[in-house]
Amino acid sequence: MLYNKYFKMHMKSSFEYRFNMFLISFSQVFICIAEILAVWLLFQRFETVGSWGFYESLLMLGIIYTVYSITECFARGYDEFAKLIKSGEFDRLLIRPVNIHYQIFGSRIEMSKASRIILGIVVSIIALVQIGVDWTVWKVLVLISTYLCGCLVILGLFIIGAGISIYTIENLEFVNIITNGCKELSYYPINIYNKWLARFFTFIIPLACFNYLPVSFIVGNPATIPWLCAISPLLGGLFIIPCLIFFNLSIKRYQSTGT
Amino acid sequence: MTKIIEFSDICKQFKVPEKQKGKWSFLKNFFNRKCKIIKALNNVSFDIEEGDIVGYIGPNGAGKSTTIKIMSGILTPTSGTCAINGYTPWKNRKEYVKNIGVVFGQRSQLWWDVPIIDSFELLKDIYKIPNQEYENTLTLLKEKLHIEDLLNRPLRQLSLGQKMKCELAGSLLHRPKILFLDEPTIGLDAITKLAVRDFIKYINKEWNTTIILTTHDMSDIEALTNKIILIGKGQILYNGSFETIKEKYSHQKIITVELAHEYDEMSLDGYEIISHEKNYVTLKNLSDTTFHAKDFINDISKKYEIVDFSVDSLSVDEILARLYSEYELQEK
Repeated sequence: MLYNKYFKMHMKSSFEYRFNMFLISFSQVFICIAEILAVWLLFQRFETVGSWGFYESLLMLGIIYTVYSITECFARGYDEFAKLIKSGEFDRLLIRPVNIHYQIFGSRIEMSKASRIILGIVVSIIALVQIGVDWTVWKVLVLISTYLCGCLVILGLFIIGAGISIYTIENLEFVNIITNGCKELSYYPINIYNKWLARFFTFIIPLACFNYLPVSFIVGNPATIPWLCAISPLLGGLFIIPCLIFFNLSIKRYQSTGT
Repeated sequence: MTKIIEFSDICKQFKVPEKQKGKWSFLKNFFNRKCKIIKALNNVSFDIEEGDIVGYIGPNGAGKSTTIKIMSGILTPTSGTCAINGYTPWKNRKEYVKNIGVVFGQRSQLWWDVPIIDSFELLKDIYKIPNQEYENTLTLLKEKLHIEDLLNRPLRQLSLGQKMKCELAGSLLHRPKILFLDEPTIGLDAITKLAVRDFIKYINKEWNTTIILTTHDMSDIEALTNKIILIGKGQILYNGSFETIKEKYSHQKIITVELAHEYDEMSLDGYEIISHEKNYVTLKNLSDTTFHAKDFINDISKKYEIVDFSVDSLSVDEILARLYSEYELQEK
């Protein structure tokens, strides 16, 4: 399969700079641990934040870390789309007889994010064990769909950023504000935030759909409607559709850059 | 001969934001962006026949790259129609690009950090080239371009000439019917340049590949092409054989004369003095006259004592410079 080839090429490329990759992987794990510590310290002081305990927050942190790192690892092409345009790489992609999205996925695979994916999964597992969930088949399915939905939503944000950079030829910081903002926001239950902020991150950018809502279902949060929480990841995943439409419309207006 | 490229009435306009100057200009630019429209191509039409090598030339910023990008399906024109190999490039992109190869002289399609051969293997999968065909083509390319020893090295270790050879090989692996070359010989040394040219000719002959090349190196044009298309300010200025243009300027000669001794002031009716240094003088006949060697000797030896002289035609570069300036005058 073509994607396998892309994958091997990226492996080879990054192993040309082994030490560099090791350093990046190490520093990312370090940053992650520092963030976990910050959350832990907060809970040492307050014990609960909006009916949430430390391990519920840790589960949300684990989820966001996993999905964010997976998306960064495999969909970096959208995240760095302005670079693709500036360097003329995007012109190259357009002259190949392969679907353009397939090629954007193939254009960047960041092996150094692998350490954070693993860390995210480990943190999620520790949190789930500590919470002591009564597992049912539904809860497992909801958990899996939560991760999938998370990847789709973050991917959607990257794709919007990519679509905008077709017009601006410049990476816009405000896209980073939203993606990183999502990350920071999502360690704590969304109902502790301002009403409008909570609505924005539920209905406009469905952050809560792979975060507060499904986690509420899994841990049995009495403040929420269980069945609605259970299907929320499926609804949140639909976010990708308008993003793709926007991107495909933008591509038609592509102007290329000089030689 | 069949027409493989038909380009008719293509226009391409770009919207470019206009920078306003003055105090607070960055705020003005941000909130009240004025755009101006640049016409990169203006009713461009031409046909190219199968198996032709066409030189697409023009001064910087004339619209060469834009045309190549439209022909290779990267850009959509504002208006006009184009049929290449039976397809409209920007509509049936995936089908269309299977049969074209593109080399941008200043941008690489190969991977920076992995051996060249791996990049080729990836291209094999991208174009779904059957194993046997791939092996055959690769053997031929290795032999013709002498790149056997380079294939196991990453691109970053290669010299400019070696890179260009590998780029050419990479864009020919799928045996395209049409090859677009954007400045293929830029920055190459004489030997590599000749090798690249020979190879382009060979491909054209063996595979009957139609080749469109843009270049600023006029010796490329002389050595390779049988037809040129001259573009300036987004319009086609000339479309035809290069010989015709050369003929047009064949009455113009550059004459270098060695004189017996130094003269302070020199002038000759019907000729313009280009340079005069010690006892050498370079002249050219005025553009509305035709040069006759006998008359020239008679005229000049009446006034001055000459030892030797040589006559040259205008160089290709000079012809082109003259063409450019002529058309610019017409526009004014």
